[in-house]
Amino acid sequence: MRKTLVTVMAALAASLAFGQTVHLMWSGAITGPTSDAGKYYAQGVEDYCKYANEEGLTGGLKIVCEVRDDQYNNANTQRNFEEAIERGDPVFLGYSTGGTLQLKPLIEEVGMSYIPASYHIGNIDPPNNNYVFLPIVSYSEQVIAVLEYIAKEKPGAKVALAVHPSPFGRAPVEDAKKAAKELGIEIVEVQEMSKGLDYTATLKRFANEGVEYIVYQNVAGPVATMVKDAKRLGLNIKHAGAHYAGGPDLLRLAGDAAEGFIWVTSYFMPGENTKGATFVRELGTRYKRPSDTLESVHYPSGMLAAAIAIEAIRRAHEAGKPVTGDAGREAVHQALLGLTFDPGLAVGPVTYSKSDHVGVDMLRALRAEGGKFVPITEPFQSKLFRKVHYGK
Amino acid sequence: MSYFVQLLVSGLVVGSIYALAALGFVLIYKASRVINFAQGEFIAVGAFVVYALSVYLGMNIWLALVISLLLTAVLGFFVERVFLRPLVGQPIISVIMVTIGLASLLEGAIHLTPFGGGNFSFPSFLPQKGIEFAGISVSYPQVLAVFFTLIFLAVFAWFFQRSTLGIAMRAVADDQMAAMSLGVSVEKVFALAWAAAGITAAAAGFIVGTVSGINLGGLVSIGLRVFPVVILGGLDSIPGAVIGGIAIGILENLATGYLDPLVPGGGTGGVFPFVVLLLVLWFKPYGLFGTEEIERV
Repeated sequence: MRKTLVTVMAALAASLAFGQTVHLMWSGAITGPTSDAGKYYAQGVEDYCKYANEEGLTGGLKIVCEVRDDQYNNANTQRNFEEAIERGDPVFLGYSTGGTLQLKPLIEEVGMSYIPASYHIGNIDPPNNNYVFLPIVSYSEQVIAVLEYIAKEKPGAKVALAVHPSPFGRAPVEDAKKAAKELGIEIVEVQEMSKGLDYTATLKRFANEGVEYIVYQNVAGPVATMVKDAKRLGLNIKHAGAHYAGGPDLLRLAGDAAEGFIWVTSYFMPGENTKGATFVRELGTRYKRPSDTLESVHYPSGMLAAAIAIEAIRRAHEAGKPVTGDAGREAVHQALLGLTFDPGLAVGPVTYSKSDHVGVDMLRALRAEGGKFVPITEPFQSKLFRKVHYGK
Repeated sequence: MSYFVQLLVSGLVVGSIYALAALGFVLIYKASRVINFAQGEFIAVGAFVVYALSVYLGMNIWLALVISLLLTAVLGFFVERVFLRPLVGQPIISVIMVTIGLASLLEGAIHLTPFGGGNFSFPSFLPQKGIEFAGISVSYPQVLAVFFTLIFLAVFAWFFQRSTLGIAMRAVADDQMAAMSLGVSVEKVFALAWAAAGITAAAAGFIVGTVSGINLGGLVSIGLRVFPVVILGGLDSIPGAVIGGIAIGILENLATGYLDPLVPGGGTGGVFPFVVLLLVLWFKPYGLFGTEEIERV
């Protein structure tokens, strides 16, 4: 009896010392489709959360991060989201395009801020768009930035879009078509392509149509096969892509064939000598992550999502607001709407406002050279995206 | 014209990869009337074993492949002994459910290794440039796939026609009870079929990994993508698997080459073979070369 009493007292004392506990859930694909990104994203969430707790970046709160494997299944995502609502979590870290688009009405209804790994512009477009926050620029802006780069490099270029056969892949197509008109380049064809074993037919057709650039809004697997096939066929076509199309995964899968690939992203590269890249390496080493984690661009992506959520929770807490339950959700939402901070994980600061639900507004173009992606531009914003998407 | 020929050739070589992956299904079905839903996971295991041996242990890739073929054969044998043997004589749906469970189990086990969610590539061992002839191009891994398919086809043709075990296997496929009454060990035949399926799966995993990189999802999906191949060719026909694979490969390529420009967004390569499959099944419900089972009551 005495022993039990001592244990209970010790637990109480420990909880007081740590302060209030706040749960933060991430639901994404640790297994199943796209787990090649989700696995590392989850590790990023976990590690930043540990780091924030250990380094006192939580305003005295104890943030308990929970990563859940939803296997890229929207029904699982919804179950996890509902559990987070019932527990009184103040903000939710999501993952897929499909899951986010499907949950938008529920997100709006319960007023829980939602930060997905999907950068689909539809996530933050009306209706039901008050509570979804993109960590970095949308796919649409990424692809338009690629087109802007191409227009500079080769005015009047003929371009084919090779997109994933899903809402994720189709997301930037309409904006890209409008932007191409403005830029004076021609989108010859939009081809939906899933993972295949041979793209000779598609590539030969593109070559017959005079395509000079293929722009990918896809995942690294099919892009790598297509890039390898293009090299084998000796085609004089350049390749470029948005965030999920390129990166170290593409280099690993395509090898030399990826040389010259132009890629846009808001994240630093693993080997870069920048403060952000060094921080990611140090954190990965601190938590004993293997080298493939340290080399993945999805690892800092997960960190950034967690950093945004934790910073918003901290600010709400330090403003004397509750950070759990309905009131907590609203307080954290308000904190997100005014959030401006630079965790150093991407090429620009996170800046949200009531009318801007895109965190990092900057990106860079990089080119694969000598087996790594090397920046070929300074951080920039697409000039055309706002004009073609919002008409301003 | 050269465009058309290129599409045909590309279809043929891709079809050979499908055929290789489909052989495992056919072998198991032929012997035991079981559809193995874990075939994709066997393919993944085969590829990851080659990768682990060649990258982590620095082994020669061909030696790694031989060891992988043996290991997946042992895995097939083990699976049959542990999971399927207790189900001999049970309803077929129970056996199918076990293979679905086995798929989950194997996939979960792979996720516990460093290979779970990553993208990997075999060390480069073939020239990247490919082979060109009269404007037609094929890659070396694709040539390797055709070669492997021909080898396996020849080996299985000999095995089923000439060897005692192969003839016993055909007997079991034809009538289990009659085969047993003649002293054929059905258990031995089943175990052998699973081991042989493991071998073909490892070969397919090696080829797919060489062509498009090693990713669990991609490898497993090949196991499912070859379903139309085996249904078209006939679930219990080895030549059917090869012809079905090549037919699907060619149809995919022709559709991508000629129909995609007419359809906004394209993607007809993934659909058109299924349309043809439905038409074929309309007239040949057991596939092109499958055994017609007529039950008289």
